[in-house]
Amino acid sequence: MKIRLIAAAVVPVLAIGLLAGYLLHGSAATAQQTVSLNDMSQNANQWVMPAGDFANLRHSNLTQIGADNVKDMHVAWMMSTGATRGHEGQPLVIGDTLYFESAYPNHVYAVALDDYHIKWEYTPTQDSFATSVACCDLVNRGVGYGDGMIIADALDGTVYALDAATGKVDWRYKEADPELGQTLTSAPLVIPEKNRVIVGVSGGEYGVRGYVTALDLHSGHEAWRAYSEGPDTDVLIGSDFHGPRNQGTATWHGDQWKVGGGTTWGWYSYDPKLDLFYYGTGNPGTWNPSQRPGENKWSMTIFARHPGNGQAVWAFQMTPHDEWDYDGINEMILADIKVHDANVPALVHFDRDGFAFELNRETGKLLLANKFDPSVNWAYDYNVAAGKPNQNPAYATRQGYDTKGICPASIGSKDQQPAAFDPATGYFIVPTNHWCEDYQPFAVKYKAGFPFVGAIVKMYRGPGNYGGALIAWDPNAGKIVWSDHEHFPCWSGVVTTNGIAFYGTMDGWFKAVDTKTGNLLFKQKMPSGMIGAPIVYSYGGKEYVAMLAGVGGWAGIGLAAGLTNPTAGLGAVGAAADLGKYTTLGGDLVVFTID
Amino acid sequence: MRQLRLILGFLGAMALWGTAALPAPPAPAAVAPLRVCADPNYMPYSDRSGDGFENRIAQVVAAGLGRPVVYVWKSIRGEDGFTEMVHQYIDRGRCDLVVDVPYSEADLQTTRPYYISSYVFVYKKGAGFGAITSLDSPQLAHVKIGYEADTPVEIGLKLRTLTIGAKPFLTADEEDASPAAIIDAVQAGTISVGLTWDPAVGYYVGQHPDLTAVVIPNARSQGSPEQYTFPMAMGTRSGNDAFVTQLNRVLGQEQSKIDAILNAYHITYFKPNGNG
Repeated sequence: MKIRLIAAAVVPVLAIGLLAGYLLHGSAATAQQTVSLNDMSQNANQWVMPAGDFANLRHSNLTQIGADNVKDMHVAWMMSTGATRGHEGQPLVIGDTLYFESAYPNHVYAVALDDYHIKWEYTPTQDSFATSVACCDLVNRGVGYGDGMIIADALDGTVYALDAATGKVDWRYKEADPELGQTLTSAPLVIPEKNRVIVGVSGGEYGVRGYVTALDLHSGHEAWRAYSEGPDTDVLIGSDFHGPRNQGTATWHGDQWKVGGGTTWGWYSYDPKLDLFYYGTGNPGTWNPSQRPGENKWSMTIFARHPGNGQAVWAFQMTPHDEWDYDGINEMILADIKVHDANVPALVHFDRDGFAFELNRETGKLLLANKFDPSVNWAYDYNVAAGKPNQNPAYATRQGYDTKGICPASIGSKDQQPAAFDPATGYFIVPTNHWCEDYQPFAVKYKAGFPFVGAIVKMYRGPGNYGGALIAWDPNAGKIVWSDHEHFPCWSGVVTTNGIAFYGTMDGWFKAVDTKTGNLLFKQKMPSGMIGAPIVYSYGGKEYVAMLAGVGGWAGIGLAAGLTNPTAGLGAVGAAADLGKYTTLGGDLVVFTID
Repeated sequence: MRQLRLILGFLGAMALWGTAALPAPPAPAAVAPLRVCADPNYMPYSDRSGDGFENRIAQVVAAGLGRPVVYVWKSIRGEDGFTEMVHQYIDRGRCDLVVDVPYSEADLQTTRPYYISSYVFVYKKGAGFGAITSLDSPQLAHVKIGYEADTPVEIGLKLRTLTIGAKPFLTADEEDASPAAIIDAVQAGTISVGLTWDPAVGYYVGQHPDLTAVVIPNARSQGSPEQYTFPMAMGTRSGNDAFVTQLNRVLGQEQSKIDAILNAYHITYFKPNGNG
């Protein structure tokens, strides 16, 4: 099996201009000098995008650290982030500088890699009101980079462009409004080749209509905005689109699409050749499915759009009429692989609903949809030809009824924690959750002076009494190859390099495993549990692995509460103490190397 | 009885209109009155004498529309009281407007939000409760709690097994109950911490300088999203786009007057600046 990756071509970093014409294919010429980020990402010494490359592979071609010597890895340097909420992001490395953003209050740092002094630090002034709106801890998923600017998202919805050399604000843009229930937690997708910054919005719990916004990288001005629901003109569905029309209104009752949810807080990817970027939309609003009949498009959907004008080319809804909060926002990984033994330019997506979706990213055609956790029970299986789940009615949720034993729980078989591709084996290394739940939706109501919306969800460990697993996924067969069980949900991202995969656990262990077998090769107890993603870089001829520690996030705040013992009712006390036995809140960058 | 209420309501409204700011000329007869559905006995929201903050806001908005207010009095309390009012009064065209409902409330067409408020903890200042800042604060397990029943805070407390031994208040269920009861209980020491909707009690908290109201942040620590902060809007019949557009315009113009009313009733609020 020969695997060709879209970003695998080894291009000398100096050959920047060479590919530029090919990549830009004539459009989006900008007045300023644009350095191709795609070219920069070919230099394995750097880590220039949140996922390392546009394809979201989270793979490093560096070779100093591998299966034979990772056991000798040790801490090279550390730094406090100055914040102790959930750190769901990762650093960037551009040249001789490492950049990262902390959880709220969203400190952004530029650290010199030669002597580790702080070149600059920037903390936005934020209305603390945003903290009461944020649904799932005050997390941040990291900064982006393009044309000498660090692009940082702050919880209160502001996007900042900071001069990478000085930290001075070049421009700012208000993407989300906490007072309308919106926040900003995701990492921006920066495409200097197209003069674009693409940002999403968080807050699907609170009656917002989701959207993505594209900004002009150099000015910060809005270029276009594409909503997840509403008329095609709002969704930016036009003549380029392959698929049914007006679904953003026709699949809703009345004008419920106006508060239709479908937020966009995940990891985006970009294919320079097709000039398409890919992202997923979140759960439909309101939370109570009985109140929003219909398929509720385009919530829970993978979108392919042109970054230049935002026009959608294809869209695929994974979970029609969501009843479980299975947001479809998880990362979209672009790899040229075999699926059912046929070579295909694939988009691979491990969804919260427990299915791994493999599509042709050019056409949006679904090729394979298999469960990546055998406990998934809300659907018997997925009808690939029809593009719909074969739902098991026993696990449907409805108003006033307590549906028991739904797998996965609302946190999904996997949440935003990004998987990585391992070219050595052809496997995806996927961090997963293994929780099930009882779910009872409530009506949204106004009761004589008291506003009300809510649902009761009781979560607990799934079959086998483990909380999560790191798995290897064979995309050709659509099967799990190996599975390393974890006590808590496996809520950190993964990076692969040289036959090994790094990840962190919520209870504070940073681990390296063999991608072929899943065998544990290295572990180090960290200052706090981990929900961020590791990166690999090289400086001064030496290879480093960097990871943010700082537990939190949805699963990590008050966390595993009530989840260790399904018979203990909804009580949080004992279970919260469970995570507390292993780790505590923190915020640290920890960087490893070998001698 | 209903007829009587309506007549009384009309008289009450006329009386109010008569005492309104003098420079305002009487509305021409051709101008249709703004018929506001309001509770006759639910302070600090609304009462027959027009003393509630919703009544004050109704006056401001009516003036902005250039229409006189006519109140259509209807209690919204009791089982399904609010829903019933919407069906019997708003849907059937007996009144045009409800002043204070959650933004995007399902049974109504809502205006843009004109204030945002939150459920709050109410306790005595300096009594050692300062560490209580969210429903996950450990100290909550060791204090005597009172809460408004059948609200998001009750669910939040249940999720954390904190309702056992806690005292429910039934303000929304009983027409004679007052939201002040939970404040009085904190003041009397029968409960240590009260959990309720700030606009229901801000007026009373404001009368007790030794009390403080602390916003309960939204949470997801127990799995499901818990929302304690709500944008509030005006509500009208669905399909009334032109009217909603008018209301939105007036709300924008009169925001400072509305803020002044919210301040006068000691409501903790955040300002929407959005594009709702």
